[in-house]
Amino acid sequence: MELVLQALLNGLVSGALLAVPAIGFTAMFAVLRFPNFSVSGVATLGAFAGYTAYAAGFQIVGSLAVAFLVAGIVGLFLDKVAHLPLVKQGALPAAIASIASGLVLENVVRLGFGNDMRGYDRPIARDVRFGELRVNPQQTETMGVALAIMLLVFAALAFTRIGKAMRASADNPELAALKGIRPERVAMMASFVGMGLVGMGGMLLGLDSSIDPLTGARILLSIFAAAVLGGLGSAPGAVLGAFLIGMAEELAVLVVGSPYRAAVGFFAILIVLSVRPRGLLGERAF
Amino acid sequence: MSLLVVNDLRGGYVAADEIVKGATLHVDEGEIVSLIGPNGAGKSTLLKLIAGLLRPKAGQVRLRDRDTAGLGAPEISRLGLSFVPQERNVFGGMTIAENLEMGGFVDGRHAKQRIAELYERFPMLADKRRAAARTLSGGQRQILAMAIALMNAPKLLLLDEPTAGLSPRAAEELFGTIVALNTSGVAILMVEQNALEALAVSARACVLVQGRVEREGHAGELASDPTVRDLFLGGKAQPMLAGSV
Repeated sequence: MELVLQALLNGLVSGALLAVPAIGFTAMFAVLRFPNFSVSGVATLGAFAGYTAYAAGFQIVGSLAVAFLVAGIVGLFLDKVAHLPLVKQGALPAAIASIASGLVLENVVRLGFGNDMRGYDRPIARDVRFGELRVNPQQTETMGVALAIMLLVFAALAFTRIGKAMRASADNPELAALKGIRPERVAMMASFVGMGLVGMGGMLLGLDSSIDPLTGARILLSIFAAAVLGGLGSAPGAVLGAFLIGMAEELAVLVVGSPYRAAVGFFAILIVLSVRPRGLLGERAF
Repeated sequence: MSLLVVNDLRGGYVAADEIVKGATLHVDEGEIVSLIGPNGAGKSTLLKLIAGLLRPKAGQVRLRDRDTAGLGAPEISRLGLSFVPQERNVFGGMTIAENLEMGGFVDGRHAKQRIAELYERFPMLADKRRAAARTLSGGQRQILAMAIALMNAPKLLLLDEPTAGLSPRAAEELFGTIVALNTSGVAILMVEQNALEALAVSARACVLVQGRVEREGHAGELASDPTVRDLFLGGKAQPMLAGSV
């Protein structure tokens, strides 16, 4: 029983970290209308940008800001140059192009930093015990940062003019354009913010473990599964999906072992698409 | 004085496909004009061409004495024209308050005041301001769609089939709302399948057939015209449509 509770607790932490890039992925899908798989490369880039900033003396929050900016700018550039011109031909060509650009980005990082695993140099802290359950203070801190980022994103979507414009454009693009909300500006904003969140997600996952050029590729399936499970295009759905996937992955480790952990994402996508294709909260609840 | 003058307007969804084939009409300040005609006559397309959602192939649209050629929908909206589409005319996932806010996106300076005025005019919207638009009934949704359009304080409102899919009672209530709006000084150009009801509240009407305005006149006269009655107001059969008006 303690093992299960511990797995659920770990799942909550990894779910919170996964939720940040999942919100970015689903926000981009809601506005740009294609699944942007270059998030794998962008998450890796964000992780390394944050790592470099942290090594240069930035604090965690400052390093996250660097990860956000670098990932946002590069992600926006990729969207403008490689993905959005193809969206007119349909979501599939843009999605395929995004797989390619993700691979390019991953290898650019490999070229610059090599294949070695790297870890953020953080002070070692003793686990806090609650009965049989153990919580690492650093994980708690990272989870808190992830939750704060989520709150900021939801507040921006709910209360700012540009956030509402993004939601309006995702909800009803034709009416939004009729009301003077410029679709190309909203698309650029969604791309920059979405990719920035993916970059921060890459760094948060790096803070929790370590980073290497495959950091993004390893979480791509989980991000996609979280977004599909919650409902593609739904930001609250992405958060719910991320927590469920995080906990399911941790529980799966107990049952089938860690090598098969990644299978959880595949199963989640398979089940959702078979039983409830619109996801738990329905698409476009963004 | 004419608020809107449309002269020999041509256009459609794609360059090669001309649905509106030389339509000419006008709307004076403060009047309701109904646009009636058979399915496929180009009524909705004509509204979209006037509103700037489609680019005209030829012809002219003058709004408040200004040529709208080359202007997009938001710019035309700034000149005092608001268009209410037939479908997908609200932001379903957003609250009513947010819908109204988005309606005034191009000019946010007076948004709060406009929203307060609209809440006063439509108390239902005030009561449900925190509810998502998708939870509204069909009639309530149409009222919200009109309120979104009114956020720009338009002089002219284009309504595309406002009562489509509504119950007879809801449609009657909506016609009442349209008349009340008009009484407050907003001119209305309306495409409506419930032609008799539309003519009953309109000052004038235009009959559009195959992309051209074939008849124009006082709504009452057109409503009592035997040919128009037979063809468009529940009279005789469809085969008479082509070229008989």
